[in-house]
Formats: sequence, C-alpha cells, structure tokens
Amino acid sequence: MAENYILECKGISKAFGGTQALKDVQLQVRPGEVHALLGENGAGKSTLMKIVIGLYHQDSGSMVFDGKPYQAKGPVDAIKSGISMIHQELNPEPHLTIADSIFLKREDTNGIFLNKRRQNERTQKILDDFGFPYPATTLIRELKLADVQMVEIIRAVSTNAKMIIMDEPTSSLDEQETQHLFRVIRDLKAKGVAIIYISHRMAEIYEICDTVSVFRDGQYIATAPLKEVTNDDLIAMMVGRRVENLFPKVDCPIGDVVFKAEHLTGTGFEDINFEVHAGEILGLSGLVGSGRSETMRAIFGIDSYTSGKMYLNGKEFTRKNASDSIRQGVCMVNEDRKNFGLCLYRSIRENTSLPSLPERQRGLLLNQAREKKEVEEVSNTLLLKAASIEHNAYSLSGGNQQKVVIAKWIMASPKLLIMDEPTRGVDVGAKAEIYTLMCKFAAQGMAIIMVSSELPEVMGMSDRVLVYHEGHISGEFYRKDIVSGEVTQEVILSAAFGVS
Amino acid sequence: MKKSVIMSVLGTVMAMSLAFAGTALAEEVTYEADVNGDGKIVVGYISKNFTDPFHAPINARAEEYFDQAVADGIIDEWTGLLDGETDANKQIDRAADCISKQCDIVIFLPAEAEASDPALVQMADAGILVIEVNSKSASCDEKAIAYVGSDDVEAGNMLAQWVVDNCPDGGKYIHCNGILGNSAQIQRTEGMHAVMDEHPEFEMVGDFDTKWDGNLAADAASDSMSKYGDELVAIICDNDGMSSAAQKMCNDNGREDIICIGVDGVEVPLQMVQDGSLKATILQDGVGQINGAISIVESLVKGEAFDPAPVIPFVLVTADNVADYIG
Amino acid sequence: MASSPQKLKSYSKEDRIRSLLGQYGIGLVLVIMMIVIAIMEPRFLTLGNIINVATQISINGLLCYGLCLCITTGGIDLTVGAQLALTSCIIGQTMTNMGWPAFMAILAGVGVATLFGFIDGVLIAKFNMFPFVVTLSMQLVIRGLSQVITGGRAVMLTNAWFTGIYSNKLFGIPMPIIIFIVVTIIMYLMLHWTKFGRYIFAVGGNVNAAIASGVSRFWVIVGVYTISGVLAGLASMIYTSKTGSAQSNIGVGYETDAIAAAVLGGTSFAGGIATIPGCVLGIFIIGLIYNGMNMIGVSSYYQSIVKGLIIIGAVMLDMVMNRNKH
Repeated sequence: MAENYILECKGISKAFGGTQALKDVQLQVRPGEVHALLGENGAGKSTLMKIVIGLYHQDSGSMVFDGKPYQAKGPVDAIKSGISMIHQELNPEPHLTIADSIFLKREDTNGIFLNKRRQNERTQKILDDFGFPYPATTLIRELKLADVQMVEIIRAVSTNAKMIIMDEPTSSLDEQETQHLFRVIRDLKAKGVAIIYISHRMAEIYEICDTVSVFRDGQYIATAPLKEVTNDDLIAMMVGRRVENLFPKVDCPIGDVVFKAEHLTGTGFEDINFEVHAGEILGLSGLVGSGRSETMRAIFGIDSYTSGKMYLNGKEFTRKNASDSIRQGVCMVNEDRKNFGLCLYRSIRENTSLPSLPERQRGLLLNQAREKKEVEEVSNTLLLKAASIEHNAYSLSGGNQQKVVIAKWIMASPKLLIMDEPTRGVDVGAKAEIYTLMCKFAAQGMAIIMVSSELPEVMGMSDRVLVYHEGHISGEFYRKDIVSGEVTQEVILSAAFGVS
Repeated sequence: MKKSVIMSVLGTVMAMSLAFAGTALAEEVTYEADVNGDGKIVVGYISKNFTDPFHAPINARAEEYFDQAVADGIIDEWTGLLDGETDANKQIDRAADCISKQCDIVIFLPAEAEASDPALVQMADAGILVIEVNSKSASCDEKAIAYVGSDDVEAGNMLAQWVVDNCPDGGKYIHCNGILGNSAQIQRTEGMHAVMDEHPEFEMVGDFDTKWDGNLAADAASDSMSKYGDELVAIICDNDGMSSAAQKMCNDNGREDIICIGVDGVEVPLQMVQDGSLKATILQDGVGQINGAISIVESLVKGEAFDPAPVIPFVLVTADNVADYIG
Repeated sequence: MASSPQKLKSYSKEDRIRSLLGQYGIGLVLVIMMIVIAIMEPRFLTLGNIINVATQISINGLLCYGLCLCITTGGIDLTVGAQLALTSCIIGQTMTNMGWPAFMAILAGVGVATLFGFIDGVLIAKFNMFPFVVTLSMQLVIRGLSQVITGGRAVMLTNAWFTGIYSNKLFGIPMPIIIFIVVTIIMYLMLHWTKFGRYIFAVGGNVNAAIASGVSRFWVIVGVYTISGVLAGLASMIYTSKTGSAQSNIGVGYETDAIAAAVLGGTSFAGGIATIPGCVLGIFIIGLIYNGMNMIGVSSYYQSIVKGLIIIGAVMLDMVMNRNKH
C-alpha cells in the first residue's frame, strides 16, 4: 500500500463466447499522470476500458477507484463516479447542437423542462475556456471531424472527471490540433486529473505520457515509466517479437506515368497538377481540410471537379461515377472506414469481393467457389486475423477492418490505388504489414497515392511527397532528400503551413 | 329572413316525424323540398364505397339518374358521387361537405350503424332531408325522412333456409363472416342462427373471420374440406363474393355437392348460377333500393306524398330466375 | 503463436451448424407450431392438409419476397395490396370483357404491375423520396386505377385454362405450389448467388460504402421495386384464378402478412440483412397461423388476437435464441 492509486484493477478476466478477451489483467493508475495503454488491436485495451466504464461486466476480478471499491453499471454511472471516456469510434449525434451534445444524459433542466438558454450559456463559457471557435448552438453535423473530436474531449472534461480515458484521441486531428489537445492534457494533469491514453502513435506517447502499460493477446505484459523504456522495447513487448523496421520501404524501379492530373479544380482544391508512375508511392501531406482528400475523392468519382483533365496510361481519363473508375482501374481506400469502407453487418467475404464482383460472374450467377478461394488468398496475403471469412466485418478489430478494405481494392486489381489514411486506427504490427504490402503492390507495377496526416509515415514510405496548403500544392520533395536528411519534418510542415 | 324559413321547415319536419313515430309504416308523408329556400334544389349522394361490386351498380344507377335529372331540370344541382370509402370518418366529412354545399336532399348509404350516425345527425340538424339507403344508421328512425332498404335478418333467414331445404339429412357446416362489426355481418349472422339453431341435425364446425374476402373464404373452405372431408355439407357466407370463391374451391376439389350460399347477387355469383357451378345466391336488390330513393326524391320535388319506409325484398336467385337479374 | 499468421478458412463445421441454428432458429418456432397444432387437431398432419397449406401460402409467399427485397435495401413496398387489385382487374377486363387470350391478359396484368414497381423505384432512387411516402401514395393511385378500369364491378373469369392455374396439378402437385417453388429458387439464386443480390445487401448495409465500391444505387433500388411489382402481379394472377373473380376491392391489408412473414424470416428493418430460406420459414409460419386456427376452430372474434400474439412470440423467441449464440 505504498502507492496511492486513483484506479486499480486486479485480476480482471472477460470472455466473449469462446474467445478469452482478457486473462487475469491488472492496471494501476496514479492521480495526475498520463498513463499510456499500448498493445495491438485485439490486445484487450478497449475491452478493459469498457469494463472500467461499465459497458461490459468482467467475469472475474475487482476494481478500486478513488480509494473505494468500484463497479460501474454503465457509462452514466461511471461519469457520476468521476470517469469519462472519449471513444475511438466517434459516435456523435449529428442533429444535436454542441451544447446538447456536451450536456447529453445530464441535461440542464428546471425540474422537467430543458433550460436551453442556461445550458447554451454554460456551454459557451466552457467552449471559450478551451478557445474553441464555435457558438454553442452549432450543429454537430456542421463541424469537421477534428472539431467533433474536440467536442467529445470538452464533454469529458466538463463532467469534472477525476479520470479521463482517451481512446485514439488524435486519430482524426492534424498536427496543430494535436498540439492543442496536448496543452489541454497538460492542464488537466496539473489539476490532478488522471488520463488513460490509448494510441498507436509512439511519438505522441513519448511526448505526452508518463507511464506505459503494455498488453498483448488479452494479457497484461508490463508497466514502466516511459523514460526507462525505448521505442524498440515497447514494440517488442507489444508484438512479442522485434519489429525490425517501422517503415519497411523497399525501393523498386519507377516505371512510366500511370496517372496524370492537369489543372484539376474543384471544391476545396485549385489548379492541381501532378503525375504518378508505376511502382511509385506518392505521399500527399498537408493539414486536414487542405484539399488532399477532396482531390482524391474527385479523381475517384465520389465528388465532382469543375475543370481540368486527367490521363490514365496516356489516355484521357473520364468517369461518370465510382463504378466507372473501378472498371478502368482507379480505386480508392476511403479515410472514413465506417461510413465509406465497409458494410459492417455483412461477411468479410462479401465486403472483400464487392467491387470486383463483375469479374466473378459465371454466366448469370457468381462463381462462389472461386470467390471464396480468392478472398481466402488475398486475406492470407494481408495476414488478416479472423476466425473465418464468413464472419461479419463488425467482429473485427480496426486494423483488420482496414485490411478488409485494402483487400477489396486489391481484388479489383487496380492500376492506380489511392489510399486515404491507410493506417488510421491500425496498430503498430499491422501498420508495418500494411506498409510491406504497399511496397509489394508497387513492385507489381501499381501506382499508389497515399494521403496521410502522419508525417513519419509520409516520410518513411513515399518515393515522392506532395504537400497541400489551402487547396494548392505547396511543395514537392523526393525520397533521396528525405533519406539524406536534407528534407526534415520541419521543412514539410512549413510547406503545409504555407511558410516558404 | 332565411333563418326563420329554415326554422319553420325544421319545425314542420320535426312535428311530422314525431307524428309518424307512433303510426303505421305505410302512412305517407310530404315535405317542402327546397329546405333552405334559396330557390334551388341541390341533391347530395354519399356512397358507402366505390370498390365493392355490390355498390357499383347502385352508384352507377344514381349517377345516371341524377345527371339526367339535372339536364332535365328536375333538380338544379347534385354533388356527384361522394366516396364514403367504407369509413364512417370519411362519411362524416362528406356530410360536412354536403352541408356547406347547401344541399336540400341527401341520399346516404351508411358504412357503419353507430359510427356513421353523426353524418346523418349533422345533416338532419342542418335541415337537410336525408334518405338512408341500404342499411340504417342508429338514429335513422328519428332523423332521416325515409329509409329504403332490405332487412338483412331476413337475408340471414333465407341463407339458412336454403341450406335446410337442400340438405335434408343435415350435417356439418361452416360460416364465413364479413368484417366483424359491420351491420350486414351482424344481422345476416343473426338471421342465419335464428333458423339454423332450430335444426339440431346441423352442426356449425367453423366460424371464420374471413373479412368479406373471397381468398380467405376459399382457404377456410379448403381447410374445412381437409379436416371434415365428406362430413362437410354446406358453407354459409355473409356475402356471395365469399360464397362464390368457396364454391369454386369446392368444385375444383371435386366437391360440387357442398352447398355454398351468400347474400348480394353481384356479377360473378350470378354468372356462376347461370352456368350451373353455383346453385343459388340471395340477391339484395341494390338497384331496387336506389330506385326507391330516387322515387322519393321525385315525390319531394313534386310535393307529393310518399312512403317513408319501403322495404325492397331479397330474392332467391337460382337457375330458374337468374336470367331476370343478370346483365 | 499469437501473432503468427493463421490460415483463413471459410467455415468450420461447428461454425456452420451454429450459424444455421442462429439464422434459422425461427425454424424451431415452425416445428413447435406444427407439433402444437397436430396435438390439438390430428387431421392437421394429413398429406392432404399439408398440400392444402402449401397451396394457400403461395400468394402471401410471392408478396413476401418482394417486400423482403425492398426492406433489405432499407425501404418498404406498401403498394402490393393495391397491385393485387389492379392486376386482377386488368386480367378480368382484358380476358372476359375484351376477349383476349388468357396468356396475353396475364402478360398485360403482370406487365402493368411491373411498370408500377419500376415507377416506384425511379421515384425513390432518382428523386430520393422516402419509400414509405412513395408507395403509400402510389398505392392510392393503383387502387384508384383499378376502380376506374372496372367501375367497381366484379368481373367473372370463366376461361378454364386460367382458373386452372390455381386448381390444376402437375405430377400431382397443385400449380400454385409449383409456381411458389420456382419463384423461391429464382429468388434464392438471385439474392444469394448473383452480383445483383450482393449489391442489394451492400446498398441496404451501407449505401455510402456501396457507392464507393462502384455499386449503382439507382439500379439496385429500381430493380428491387420492379421485382416486387412482378411478384405482386404473379400473386394477383394466382389470387384471381383462385376466386374466379376480378374486382378492385381485393388485397386490402395484404402487405401486413407479407411484411410479417419477411420479418419472421429474419429480414432486418435496419437493412442489409435477409435470407430467402428465412423468408420461406416466415411464409410457412403465417400460413400455419391461418390454417391452424381454421383447423383447431378458433372463434372468429379471437383469430386476429391469436395471430398478432403468435407473430410477437415468434420474433421474441428468435431474438432470445440469437442472443444466446453471442
């Protein structure tokens, strides 16, 4: 009892059907510390946190919070006890205002009726304290993804929590917003609030966290102060082996121009010119909203462009819609996996073969035997972890869902593969696997455009980097200069901020 | 000025209806046709519905007559056929339409005995002379100036009597109901029981919620055939849309011997009687009913006296007399 | 061991059994119902009555498949009852009153129902109108049209070939059963073995992801409502042949039984989930409710209550069983 913990979990176990999600797990968090939870997807971090906030009930084990035995009946109960959680999968109600969202489930009432005005005033004060530049009556659906994330954080903070759990809070934030979040976290820490911080971004963990606990396959591995462990140690603990290289980029011969955009202009981007070659990985960097994703969506045919021309393999490329693009060999991994990537309640097999079904016809019917074989092959190539390809995509972890999204486009054998945030919400081990696959596809002569908010990823994987600033391309950098150290993160960032 | 005229007419009407309440039905009555004194005779027509084959010829006859009557100057205007949609609520709305159109006389075919009654009450209270046709709503005797219809209890008696006469040995029979709660369903069923319950040689083995639906009646017939086989001798239906579908199902299964009978006399059962696949049906003379109402309108316009409650009899239609009613 | 790649298989045997149990747990409900009815009325289990039930379910069965597809794309088709009436009236008018050959009359009737299905689909897909609103309004138009065609009068069908569609037998099997089996096989192949079926699931499951995967929402939506129209037309053909009478007031409320059968069969109103074998079970359950009540002799005043309670009970039992699977 030498240590004073705000939260102490002992011997927690939880099974779902036949799967043991947690096995005799422990966790100790001190007040006022930022405690990182590290582990691959499926390691049990999220399950443990859901037990802490009462979404699940453990099969065995006990918890002590703030010196008292603790067992939440549900999230509302947890909030009352002083624990708030910001979820990885944002679940905002798009039709609510910011004020409604922040006071959800604990509405400001006069007995029965909502006191909207007082609620709005109180919200506005909180927003102002955070320097959040929107009125409290703004609808959630009018906000950018990053701002929605910020609202979630503000909501958690506004409950006067003693402990806040943040599950991948920066996954949809850009550099600037991340830094803002870190300032908020430091403030909270100074006030004695404990933070449990779940992230796959090692750099961030080193920057903001004090202590780290590592999980693997539902088991607790170790806890250590971050000052005492190296990046490689942590990764080794997480994956149970050493990952030699975080960015296993393999240089392969760059071939002819596969795709070329000339003076492409549309909503959010203007006069975009670039080309991408066979075997090349072209990185697109820039702030969220700088026009990177917008350009890509227009190329693929989900959005439209107003002027400019595109060429595929030397011939002019026009498309009426996404189906047209797919047929011609242009495919896109969307950044929003939940809304544009998967039908969560259909099987892995159906999701994977969806874009390439026309090629799997035998007469009027589908050749399901061949489909099964091919999906199994591509899933195995992608090291997909699932009990069976007949299981729902819903049952998979984020990383494995992302692999299904990639698999479905690989099945369509594209000439140009656009990957918007290909590793969002994906753990370290799976990230390296996805990078290896990208190199493999490039080596087969595919042209790849990778849009990413993570600078290390862009710099580690791209043969060439284009940087967006406010709808224009503001910089172009080559791999050799990045490798030589001539082009640093700072150089790319200043291009992204429009500083020359 | 106008108001006082209405009041005086109303007074007369009320006095007269009171006078008739205690007297014999055949006593004749007279009314002033132009009740609102605007110098025009406007006739309203609220149908029960446009979809039931029984009502189609009634509506058609009304439309034909009143179009001609307007052209001939017998009346000044009529509302056209208003669709009651077999729905009391819709009929009350149509009644309000008739009031605002300043109708003098309205022919009304109530969909429900109780629920449609406010339509009658509201029109009568507005001074309109309402003639109910086909079935009575609750306060028909007090508020309507006349009722032209047939007695559904009598129809029920006839249904049962036909079965009794044609199955001298008795046996098992089933009954297919109309939509439960419709006045025709209630009265026909009552009439049927009145006769069948006197005959212990018959046993009712099924009483089905077949909703006036021929498809459901056919299913009830096939279910009962597979359960009772040869023991089943008759199927009594509240209308002959159901009895004709049931008879077809029996015939298709080689059971022409089963006696199916229903009420109404719509086209299909009549044709089946003609070609021999159905032995009989009970015809409710819908066109006769509307003709009765039309002659009351004519009497009103001419200021002549008329019988306020003519009864149009049901007719047993068999191969012998079907030619008189078909076409 | 944990992070070493494991080879993926499609289904293990145990998995398959469990999934079948979960998916078709409603089958157990069906078996229970059959046992209960058979105990109360032994004549229920005669071959004659089984064939009788199978013949009766064909009309609701065809309507149910159409509803199942529309519900799976996240929509609903409320026109099917009115479609029954319209097709019936067209067949009656053309065959009896205009002397068309039976085959041509059927083609005309089913063709018009198909056209209305297509129009529903276009209104929903092209103009992004709510399926509920579109089909609720079209239902009025369609029923109105059938009243116009017949003037509300019933038309008798005497053509022996046509009335034989319901009563004739092929190899001892009544024609409605054969039609139902053929349609069931076609629907099964279409939903589970074709590109179009997958697209239906994708559009219903996540329309954005489907579009981003190159699926044309327009053609999928238009396709399912058109198919629902075809099936309603065929159901009407059977209906008209069965009652030997064409009239405009038939089919009121028939969408209710079709929706109930689809839902019992595991069709999800959230969209994207349905199976044809499930629907077959649902169709049989609804059919057994009617037949069972007639066989047992439930009083007419209680039949409606019994029907509603059985549907709720069946869905509840199915949900409980599915929960245990997780």
